[in-house]
Amino acid sequence: MSYSETVEQAISNIKQQTVLMQRSLNNKKLMDALKYTSTMLTELRNPKLLPKQYYELYIQIFDSLTILSAYLVENHSNGHHLAALYELVQYAGNVVPRLYLMITVGTSYLKIPNSPREEILRDMIEMCRGVQNPIRGLFLRYYLSQRTKQLLLPIEQKDSIEFNSQFIITNFIEMNKLWVRLQHQGPLRERDQRTKERKELQILVGSQLVRLSQIVDDNLTLYEEEILPILLEQIVQCRDVVCQEYLYDVICQVFPDEFHLKTLDALLDTSLQLNMEVSVTKIILTLCERLNGYIERIRQNQSEDNDQNPIKEDILERFWKHLLKLNDERPDLSIQELSGIILSIMNLSLIWYPTNIQNLNKLFGLVTQKCKDFGEERTQDSESFMVKLLTAHDLDGVKNYKKYFFDIITQCDSFQDLLSIQNSLSQMDVLTLIINCFLGNDTDKKSESQILISTKTQLERFLIILEPMITIKTLTPPPDKNTNEIKEYNAQLSREYLLSVHQEKLAKMCHFLIQNIDKTQFKTVESQLELLLMIKNVYHKGGKNIRFTYPTIVTNFWRMIRKCNIFKVKIPKRKQYYENLMKQIFKYISRCINDMFNNCGNVCMDLIYKLNLQSAALADQLSLVEISYDFFSEAFSVFEESLSDSRTQFQALIFMAQTLQKTRSLYKEDYYNQLIVRTTLHGSKLLKKEDQCRAVYVCSHLWWATEISSIGEEEGETTNFVRDGKRVLECLQRSLRAADSRMDNVESCELMVEILNVCLYYFVHGDEQTTHVGISYINGLIELIKNNLKSLRLEGEQRISEMNVNNGDSNNVNNSANGSIANKDKYVMGLDGTYIKLRNINNSSSAHIDFKIKDMNINDMIQIPVEHFDRTCEYIINQRDIDNRFKMVEL
Amino acid sequence: MSMFFKSPIDIEILLDSEESRKHVEVPTSVNSTNSRKESLPLVEDGETLKGIVTLRVREGKKVEHLGVKISVVGSIDMQKLGGAPSSSASKSSSASSNASNYSATDSKKRQVDQFLYLSYDLCPPGELQHSQSFPFVFKDLAKMYESYRGKNVDVSYYIKVTVTRKSTDISKIKKFWVYLYNDISKTPNNVTITKTGTKRITNDISEDETNDPANEDTRSKDDANDTSSSNDNKSKAAIEDKANAVAKPVKLDIGIDNCLHIEFEYVKSQYTLKDVIVGRIYFLLTRLRVKYMELSLITRESSGVKQNSVIIDTTAIRFEIMDGSPVKGETIPIRLFLGGYDLIPNMSCNYFTVKNYLSLVIIDEDGRRYFKQSEIVLYRTR
Repeated sequence: MSYSETVEQAISNIKQQTVLMQRSLNNKKLMDALKYTSTMLTELRNPKLLPKQYYELYIQIFDSLTILSAYLVENHSNGHHLAALYELVQYAGNVVPRLYLMITVGTSYLKIPNSPREEILRDMIEMCRGVQNPIRGLFLRYYLSQRTKQLLLPIEQKDSIEFNSQFIITNFIEMNKLWVRLQHQGPLRERDQRTKERKELQILVGSQLVRLSQIVDDNLTLYEEEILPILLEQIVQCRDVVCQEYLYDVICQVFPDEFHLKTLDALLDTSLQLNMEVSVTKIILTLCERLNGYIERIRQNQSEDNDQNPIKEDILERFWKHLLKLNDERPDLSIQELSGIILSIMNLSLIWYPTNIQNLNKLFGLVTQKCKDFGEERTQDSESFMVKLLTAHDLDGVKNYKKYFFDIITQCDSFQDLLSIQNSLSQMDVLTLIINCFLGNDTDKKSESQILISTKTQLERFLIILEPMITIKTLTPPPDKNTNEIKEYNAQLSREYLLSVHQEKLAKMCHFLIQNIDKTQFKTVESQLELLLMIKNVYHKGGKNIRFTYPTIVTNFWRMIRKCNIFKVKIPKRKQYYENLMKQIFKYISRCINDMFNNCGNVCMDLIYKLNLQSAALADQLSLVEISYDFFSEAFSVFEESLSDSRTQFQALIFMAQTLQKTRSLYKEDYYNQLIVRTTLHGSKLLKKEDQCRAVYVCSHLWWATEISSIGEEEGETTNFVRDGKRVLECLQRSLRAADSRMDNVESCELMVEILNVCLYYFVHGDEQTTHVGISYINGLIELIKNNLKSLRLEGEQRISEMNVNNGDSNNVNNSANGSIANKDKYVMGLDGTYIKLRNINNSSSAHIDFKIKDMNINDMIQIPVEHFDRTCEYIINQRDIDNRFKMVEL
Repeated sequence: MSMFFKSPIDIEILLDSEESRKHVEVPTSVNSTNSRKESLPLVEDGETLKGIVTLRVREGKKVEHLGVKISVVGSIDMQKLGGAPSSSASKSSSASSNASNYSATDSKKRQVDQFLYLSYDLCPPGELQHSQSFPFVFKDLAKMYESYRGKNVDVSYYIKVTVTRKSTDISKIKKFWVYLYNDISKTPNNVTITKTGTKRITNDISEDETNDPANEDTRSKDDANDTSSSNDNKSKAAIEDKANAVAKPVKLDIGIDNCLHIEFEYVKSQYTLKDVIVGRIYFLLTRLRVKYMELSLITRESSGVKQNSVIIDTTAIRFEIMDGSPVKGETIPIRLFLGGYDLIPNMSCNYFTVKNYLSLVIIDEDGRRYFKQSEIVLYRTR
């Protein structure tokens, strides 16, 4: 008999034979049925089938044989004794069909009460040896296993479990042999193909272990003494990678986890004897997962029972010993693999012994040693594994990463060692991850309280961990002259100039650390200050990087000064102490600013200037006059020496004016006067006329202090405001001169309107005697503006007519295209001289700000001062209802 | 036959209770391609042959005769007489037997020996006017050999009734089939001869099977002359204790250098025809890529004079016992039920022998066959 050429033919043949077989069975013609069955089974002899195709046929045939089996059982007592049939079917000439038939009849016979079960089972499994072809043998034995599933010896029978398990083990061993053998058949170049096929077939072998686990149930002694040693021996002996990996996995998965706990040593020791190519990581990982599952289940039950801790064995100790052994025996084990194993064991440790951080320390220590041994040979690949290891990537055991990292950092020396020997890129990755974790939002308040720095050493450790990030060098130019690389480098450099991701994290980290100082341990400001200084000193190592991190530190100093002030007020007894302390802190601030100045040079002058001013303002608020003056003078010297850009200068002056205007304690010794005069002077010396104009009219406010309600000042009540109307007027006049001498007509007009606004401000806030800004002055100014606007309009109309002549066509097109004039762009001018384009009047948020707008129409430009003036006039008219004086303003 | 030449008398030979008697299906001719079978009544050794002969005369006709004679004949017929030319063979055969050269079964086969001839007259000369029946009996008829129908040799038994006439005699034969049963308790007669063969194989395993596989192939079927001759030489040398022979398992250890080394074992060397052959094959070394392995039972018929014997092998059973290629250390079980097959027990007489061999054949992926034969003895039991 021969088999079909193609799978399709085979399937249709099987179907056909099945129909014939069923018909014969219906007619009680068993011999014919057997003949058809055997024809059908011939299909399973086809050596050309791929595993998947073979499986398809197998499934069909299995179903057909089920029909036959049912018939055989039914008709056992009337004519077809199964013992006779068992012999009869063995006449089949080909071994594969013969054995399928034999198993079918044999297992049917098993269903008959009082059949010699043991003999039949033994005989079937023995005869199966006749099929030595891997695929056919595997399926045949799988068939045997499937058929005998419910039909092994009954449990009541003596020694039945032993017999049954032996039966399955025997079958398993043979299947495994066949499975392994499959790898070594056929030409060498099809090796990969065969590995793939084997993976498709692995479930057949694995199913035996599943069966075994069902038989064994909870009989640990049987498992430990009889079954596991045999299984492990098989696994070791076959020396096949696919097999060893798969079967280890299956063993770990199918047998109960408490078994693994008891047989851990055997499992671990055996794993050392496996093929070198077997991924030990995978095995350990699976094992760890199972054990973790066990402990979690136990804990769940425990919480219900409120029982004592059931774990007596030190699981981790065993793993540790195993790890050492592994390290000894397999010095070639790659970092990747080792880190995978360590990660699994870490997870185990975290789940089993969540409080024991020293375990982790040991593990990190081992990896560190390993890394050092490998030295330079470490590959790029291993880096990512180390990052995973260091960040405990995706570990179930880590319930709270913040807490985890906190513990690791504060308690594991080896963690730092390991981190320090990584390359800087992975160090940054790890640190970024850790910092992100600390900075991440955590709604769990309970865990928050656990992360408190209670000793200096803890902070020290933190800082040591952070050190690589602190000291990281800014980019070095690439050695090659490759244009692309240089371009990229330059792009990065300019980005770095503005913002450094890592340094930003550090700055945030500084805040985090200060916030998480355990206030019960560090009660006094002084002690906290000490910690901050520690941070500062470490951050100082960053060199140029401090321009990113120092502002944070300075901010924290400011915070402490505030705190001191509160204590000073609260505890009058220690007033002197706190004042001294504050002074001291200000000195630290000064030191910080100086450091920045010295280290960073021109890059951050603006920042230094602002920090100085801010510190000065703070000192002023605390009535520390001398300190305040000193910071102001520092700011001035920075301004004078280092701020050269005209726009920055203008901005700096505005900022200075703002700060000074709010100072209250500098009046003594004429400091205030000195400073404001100097400011105004600088303002009038600015490069551009418009800047001069604006700076000076802003400075005019310096002679006109206004109330600060937060410190209890009130207009009308407080009498000691610094107000000097003459000076104000002088400033305004100086400003008007500057505006007048600005050649750009539009800007000139705009500036004048702005001055008019300032004048109106003073007009509202004081009477003519004190402010010296009177009706006549205002009227004169309005007159001047009106004249200027008139000439401006004239210019505008001329231009428009010119344009109409020149671009008549295009305008027409534009008009028709635009449709509505309501949507026309509108422009205003900012206080720093920028043009602001309001895209849509209704939606002012989408403003476009620029110093020069290219496509701006001259007509639009003219509209800016015109409209501004209109708004001011409108204001004046509105004020007339409230203030009679406004009626005298001529419009 | 046409009606005109129809013989004037119909002779019918009926054994007693023939209908209920066991019959044996025998192919009409082993050599011819058409596989028609005839069903022959079975008679045992020593059984009395009893029956009735009926002579029927055509309606209204009278037949004169010179007597009616019945005879029972057992003969050995051969087609070829070994290496000698057939003419001389026929000469010798005619010399050896005084009976006619008639062969009962196959026209091609000539009788070489008539080991049984009993005859007596059923009725004296006279005239047959109507149908008449004559009972006959051959009491306790001893039959030396089993019936056999081989390629070259037949052992056939028949009853012949002859009506002698002045003109051509009218005769009719009735074949019957004979089984000889061996008692299980004692070893059959012919074992003494064959046992030596078993011994022979055990002696010269290594030389025998380590041959070049290509040579093996060609040798497998036809060319067995030299082996048989060596067989005969050695059979003289070895005389063995026959009691041990049945119980002793057949154990062989064979191989091809650095390529294949197997050990096989059959539980015993002598089997009844309903027996089961049980054994195992142990692979000590396999470098062959085995496709499958089969066990075949070969019946070897050798006939003729010793030096020029004709040897014909027939494969009675082909039975696949292994699929795929085993590895070192594998043990393959053998179980072959014989009961379902039509096998021929070992036979031996002066003119021919029938021997049975178990042949283990390994076929590799390239289609080469490697085999090892070992003789077994088959005998018939009740």
